Amino acid sequence: MSWWCSATREPWTWAFRAYPGIWITMLSLIGAYVWAWHRHRRRGLPVSPDDRRKRLWFGLGMALLWLATDWPLGVLGAGYLATAHMVQYMLYTLVAAPLLLLGIPEWMVRPAVERFQLEGVLRRLARPVVAGVGYNLVLLATHAPFTVDTFRTSQLGSMALDVVWLLSGLLLWTPLVSPLQELRHPSPAVRCVYLFLAAGAIAMVPGGMLTFADFPLYRTYELAPRVYGLSASDDQQMAGILMKIGNIPIVWTVIFVIFARWATREWRPASSASKVPTPASER
Amino acid sequence: MFRTRVGDNVLIVTSTLPPVPLDADRPQSASQPPVVPRWVIASFLLGGALFLAIAAFALASRTGHEGPSDAGGEWAGRVLEPAQPRPSFILTDTSGAPYDFEAQTRGHLTLVFFGYTNCPDVCPVQLATIAQALQKVDVPVEVVFVTTDPARDTPERLDSWVHSFSRDFIGLTGDQTAVEAAQQAMGATVAVAQEPNSRGDYLVGHTSGVFVITPDDRVRLVYPFGTRQEDWVRDLPRLAKAQWPDPSTERPS
Repeated sequence: MSWWCSATREPWTWAFRAYPGIWITMLSLIGAYVWAWHRHRRRGLPVSPDDRRKRLWFGLGMALLWLATDWPLGVLGAGYLATAHMVQYMLYTLVAAPLLLLGIPEWMVRPAVERFQLEGVLRRLARPVVAGVGYNLVLLATHAPFTVDTFRTSQLGSMALDVVWLLSGLLLWTPLVSPLQELRHPSPAVRCVYLFLAAGAIAMVPGGMLTFADFPLYRTYELAPRVYGLSASDDQQMAGILMKIGNIPIVWTVIFVIFARWATREWRPASSASKVPTPASER
Repeated sequence: MFRTRVGDNVLIVTSTLPPVPLDADRPQSASQPPVVPRWVIASFLLGGALFLAIAAFALASRTGHEGPSDAGGEWAGRVLEPAQPRPSFILTDTSGAPYDFEAQTRGHLTLVFFGYTNCPDVCPVQLATIAQALQKVDVPVEVVFVTTDPARDTPERLDSWVHSFSRDFIGLTGDQTAVEAAQQAMGATVAVAQEPNSRGDYLVGHTSGVFVITPDDRVRLVYPFGTRQEDWVRDLPRLAKAQWPDPSTERPS
């Protein structure tokens, strides 16, 4: 029995396959979160309504992370379809990662940050230029044909790719939705431009290369047993198009939300502004 | 605006520039901020790293296809030494008519693959790869698929399956003895069927290579499973132009 999804060259079927390594990893993450909540309550520390809402975000983030990693999407992405590989990547970096960050209360992170003296490192990583470049370096490195063909053929390599993707997603979203307020960039304009450049613009370059390549770039997907007769070239084109424009709904929705909140704050009369508290997610 | 007293008159000098400090010509001390802020340098370095990464991605994504002028380079297939003559066998095509392989394909660049339509992995991938590659090169090639499972691969079944990859592909079947003879004539290992499972399904172990017969009627190369589209696109035009490998100099890649 395999413990993590990887390319196997076996014919694709919809027969369920269990991957204990994925289950253990996901349950460990959920268990750690639940345990932290339990310890927080046992100490009698206050829990705000906003903190309670964070549990929903975390649950949603974990559900999507699990969906992207496990059968069937994880199996299809690891060894059959470049398109599924791209869907996985986008779920990891653009959906699950921000939800997980939104789902983690500040009191859960700050003690660890202080204990291991990570403030300086995190501050540097949370700078938009560093986070944006770091995220895109991972994007380019992990979608290069050599990397995909090397890492996807082993379970350990496949797991490493998944972990790196998640970490790069967390890095991307830290300047926007970090649990630690001081890591979020204060300027809405910078946040909008950052998100557009980091998550939207650069990905169009490799996406274009995949879309307009003369041949299938990934040996893994070119020589994989076909799924519903979808050719390797068509599959790669779909993956490229997804990489180019799949992020648009997410990126532009978030940019719109940032802009709308900023505009609402700016144009609110001074008298009412002093009465209305800062939105919870902005705190 | 700065005022300077000259004698009894007052000279008024206007300027948008700030007054120059007296120690302006002294070297800056270490405590003063550098001329170029560190964040600008860091941004340039990170931007450069990103640019290099994009360039590396582009290079890594470049295919190895160098075109027909690349003759004399490596071949993706294994070069057979010595090259065998084009084999002769008669099987049945997908219309049910007899097909004399040697007579029908003589003088043509021919790819021959032995497999079966129920094959779950190798056969569909090999045929799909060849079909896609042939869409990218203008080379006259005969692609012949010979079944190793004649019990299930009737002419009708072969017709729909083989032509789902390309209308130009040729599917051949026959009785078990004739099919085995064809494999032996080509120099392929004769396929072996496994025991059927409870549902009557079974796999057939067969050679996964594609035999290439050049226009001079010689079986010269075998392309293994794993041969990619770009390999075919690089090699087929050279083979069609009689630039086939010299066994004395070529090494299998």
